Amino acid sequence: MHLFDRAFRLVLPLGAVAVLGTVLTVGWFTQPDRYAKGFAPQQPIPFSHQLHAGTLKMSCTYCHSGVTKSRAAGIPSVETCMGCHKVTKTDTPAIKELTRIFNAGEALPWKRVHTLPDHVFFDHRPHVNSGVACQTCHGEVQNMKVVTREMGMRMGNCLACHRDPHTALPKDSKITRAAEHCAACHR
Amino acid sequence: MTKHIHHDPVDLLPIGSPRHWRSLDEREETPEARQAAHDEFKPGAMNFSDRPSTNLSRRTFLTLVGATTALAATVACDKKGRSTVVPYTKRPLEVVPGVANYYASSFPEGRRAYSVLVKTREGRPIHITGNDEHPGLKGKTSPRALADVLRLYDPDRLRAPKINGRPASWVEAEQTLLAALAAAKREAKPVLLLTGATSSPTRKALLADLQAAVPTLRHLAWEPALGDGAQEGAVASYGAPLEIRPRLEQAKVILSLGADFLNGDDPEAIAAFMAKRRPAEPVESMNRLWVLEGAMSLTGTNADQRFPVLPSRIAALAFALAKELGAAQIPTLPTPKKLGIPAEAWTKLIHDLKTAGRDAVVLCGEAMPAEAHVATALLNSILGSQAFEARPAETLATLKDLDAALADMNAGKFAAVILWDVNPAYAFPKTAEWKTAFEKIPVRAWIGLIEDESAAQCSLVLPEHHWLEAWGDHTDGTILTLQQPTIGALYDSKQGEDLVLTLLKGLGVAKPADYHAYLQARWQKEVHGKGSLASFDQFFQSALHDGVVKLEGKSSATPAFKTAAVSEMAVRALGTPTDGFELLLRPGTQVHDGRYGNSSWLQELPDPITKATWGNPLSLSVADAQTLGVKDGDMVELEVAGTKLRHPVILQPGQAKGTLALSLGYGRKTGGVARGVGFNAFSLLAIGSSAPNLRLGARVTKARGHMDLPVTQSHHRLEGRDLVRSFSLAEFAKEAKHHHEAHEHPTLYPEQQFPDHKWGMVIDLSACIGCSACSLACQSENNIPSVGPDQIAKGREMHWMRIDRYYEGEIDNPKVVHQPMLCQHCDAAPCENVCPVNATNHSPDGLNQMAYNRCVGTRYCANNCPYKVRRFNFLEFTADKVEPESLVYNPEVTVRPRGVMEKCTFCVQRIQDVKIRAKGDNRPIKDGEVQPACAAACPSHAIVFGDLKDPNSEVSKLAKSKRGFKVLEELGARPAITYLADLKNPALASNREGAAHE
Repeated sequence: MHLFDRAFRLVLPLGAVAVLGTVLTVGWFTQPDRYAKGFAPQQPIPFSHQLHAGTLKMSCTYCHSGVTKSRAAGIPSVETCMGCHKVTKTDTPAIKELTRIFNAGEALPWKRVHTLPDHVFFDHRPHVNSGVACQTCHGEVQNMKVVTREMGMRMGNCLACHRDPHTALPKDSKITRAAEHCAACHR
Repeated sequence: MTKHIHHDPVDLLPIGSPRHWRSLDEREETPEARQAAHDEFKPGAMNFSDRPSTNLSRRTFLTLVGATTALAATVACDKKGRSTVVPYTKRPLEVVPGVANYYASSFPEGRRAYSVLVKTREGRPIHITGNDEHPGLKGKTSPRALADVLRLYDPDRLRAPKINGRPASWVEAEQTLLAALAAAKREAKPVLLLTGATSSPTRKALLADLQAAVPTLRHLAWEPALGDGAQEGAVASYGAPLEIRPRLEQAKVILSLGADFLNGDDPEAIAAFMAKRRPAEPVESMNRLWVLEGAMSLTGTNADQRFPVLPSRIAALAFALAKELGAAQIPTLPTPKKLGIPAEAWTKLIHDLKTAGRDAVVLCGEAMPAEAHVATALLNSILGSQAFEARPAETLATLKDLDAALADMNAGKFAAVILWDVNPAYAFPKTAEWKTAFEKIPVRAWIGLIEDESAAQCSLVLPEHHWLEAWGDHTDGTILTLQQPTIGALYDSKQGEDLVLTLLKGLGVAKPADYHAYLQARWQKEVHGKGSLASFDQFFQSALHDGVVKLEGKSSATPAFKTAAVSEMAVRALGTPTDGFELLLRPGTQVHDGRYGNSSWLQELPDPITKATWGNPLSLSVADAQTLGVKDGDMVELEVAGTKLRHPVILQPGQAKGTLALSLGYGRKTGGVARGVGFNAFSLLAIGSSAPNLRLGARVTKARGHMDLPVTQSHHRLEGRDLVRSFSLAEFAKEAKHHHEAHEHPTLYPEQQFPDHKWGMVIDLSACIGCSACSLACQSENNIPSVGPDQIAKGREMHWMRIDRYYEGEIDNPKVVHQPMLCQHCDAAPCENVCPVNATNHSPDGLNQMAYNRCVGTRYCANNCPYKVRRFNFLEFTADKVEPESLVYNPEVTVRPRGVMEKCTFCVQRIQDVKIRAKGDNRPIKDGEVQPACAAACPSHAIVFGDLKDPNSEVSKLAKSKRGFKVLEELGARPAITYLADLKNPALASNREGAAHE
């Protein structure tokens, strides 16, 4: 009887805690890092940055025109694509699909590659305006057929550059340090 | 005033600093008040569940452990961060995702409209400020305009037309109504059109067209809460229903007879009144506000000299004044002393008025009887006052007119009725009779935003656009403002004017396709100058951009006063004395006549004086409460001419003995938020009186029961320390001699370094009128949740900015100071030192920053904050918000979850945006470029924000004012906010000054 009593009073709760601890620990270390590098989802339209930004040498800001004006660089509207694709490559299946979406006025849900938690208020403007190249954070996009996350979206990566930004900046830049206080990004 | 507080740091107070109190308990130093000052949170605030806590059994514990394990495993498999990003298919040219657009529009409210700027993000309105292009408003607006963006996203909005309770199409509904109108026209039967008042010339033209098409139409424009006295008085005095508005730029002496012109509804009057009341150095003179009123109003709290008098005596007092100033035809009146004013004050008031002459003005409250309005007009004509303006206004239907319509309904005269933005089933005093009679009309149509008590009785229930979805124009006689849609219609609604147009077309009157075209056509004809160089399109585009058009050659002349009515009115003013209480029924400061009842922001905004939220307790004077033996929240039975109401009371210092005051607009029966909040006082209005909002002979008896009132002012007490300073002109002159720059107390902590900016604020208590526009602007800008009456009662309100209201002096007529209280952004912030996870710390530009994602909710910081400005999310106030409610959120500010501490950030999102823009343009930040929401909304410019490191900024200069002080300076927290002492210009030496002289 004493034995069972002991089991119920001590072993069972301790066992429960141990199981919980194991699950949490294993879960923590095996969870997919949602902000890690290497994420390359399949997009609804197989758009190739390699072709547009690389081969055709289109400027990044032609499509991502918000980057100097807004916090968000912005995904181009379907209309922007159609600016060229009304006449270019109209016979390929992808462009046919794009044309259909445009004519129907449907939404085109791209898979988000670079994502940040809701409490982070990253602003493209100061970075681009001080001469940081897009490739510094987004990788050599002009060589990517499928856009892949090249830099982990973690605070350590932000801070590393903010503390020593010289590699990201043009040579003649006078900036030696960037904001490190909380409210610069969190509010 | 003699009771001494235990640990009162009186030695630290400057000369002449009086004891201030915020509640009667605090004044009397009751044991409850001491306990409240000692405890950080109110009893019950620490219970994390709203259910009573039970002892955790082992079984429950094990169940919870199991559930937690399962949950942890599930959470690890989520798909967060795998979201989609959807661009515009066709991006409108003016929209850049992430950048706000501002559109000029107008917020209509009855006879008034406010020109506003609507901030939209990705096509949805999220914040409203005043329009800076408007020459009078100069970027300021009424608090209700700020809050009304919430109503656009109200989930209770009607989404599609209904016929007899079943969903229907617009075509079907319109055909039904049209058939009824056509039949009425054929048979020459009357049709009743009951609407709210409007200031729109185009809507008036449209309704005139409808009147011409249906000659039997009877149009009544009705504003239920305003009272009929002002209109009757204006007709008797000037021969037309003019609306009297103050013009106080040059005014030296202002006498308010129960007029609450500083209640926030008229930002122009507030700015003009406060313009010269904020000297940095002692001055000889200042304008002076005399207030004679029954209940305490915001204007009364800002008075230089205030006397509580019975509302029924005000007309007699005004006539007595007129007699002293030389008016003929006035019978002998009781002495001023008998009417409630000491002789010394009376003499001084007459002297003031005589000396100021044309720079004096008398203003009369809307609830006052016609005779008081006539006496006011007489006084202004004797003075030759230049400090008011009479605007032409629409004739409003009186309660008598509605009663006549009720009789006709009973007689079965009407063929149809259209209710447009009015709610007679709720607001007409004889509700039951109205409802029975109303049912006798065969076709009953209703158009409005949220289904109300009247819609329940209508066969056709039609959803209307919110004003942010609709076109319109409004005028006050000299300026025309344009109202434009800032978002497409969210639901299958129409604007009322478009319904009228459809009816007109159906009746065979050719009209433009929609109201937008109708408005443009009228503007082209009436507004666009014939000789104008710009084409109409250019002209209209520019009007759309600015939101205002100045009407050339239109200026309001002072109307001629007609003396004919004076003697009759003066006799009426004498009145017959009645027993019992006098009951004053006022439109609710927040919900007005009930139309904003469903706005949780407004319901939760504390009343500027009583600080009561979510309801309308009956306010009575402290002396009367003692006679009755009631305390705050005790129930009483109120009886007025046979109508009885059971009501909780609230004690109001400064209220005239024998006066009761009650807010209208509560006690709604429909609307998810409005339902069941407070009590409906419309049933107490008097039909056929010249002052329906003033009832004499009311009886109050103590009833059984008690209700805990959700009042905020007893929360967040600051340990009985004195935090406000208030001077008369003489006291300021004395104080200024002793004034020294705030010296920095030594600190053990390392000095904060501010390399570029040090953001700071100056709040001028002399200019602050307490209207609470700042609180609402802050709520809208910073995604602050409303928590509801139960949570308020536990002290869990979330407002980052509150207005503390302090009384000083005697209970029967105290002086009042309003003090906006928000995070002081201390350089040596006590909260920062105690955070175990460094979630709150100091930024290099002087902000006390708060990283929500780091906060673990220990609440040590709130405990250590001497200003009690930190707010904790005790419950999950935001997670259940889905569309449409979540659409009102500002995307630049984190929506905080449960368990997180939050507080004022000085609108860091605005600072960051300006900083980044300035950096992009390669220029320094201009002074005044960063405007936190509160400063932008403040109608009297009492809140000034800027860079304290720049010696030439406005805020740096003001911080050096001789009225400047820091709250709790002695603690050495080094707050970034400097308050400027309140300044009043009393006519009579107060007891305090007398004591100081001795």
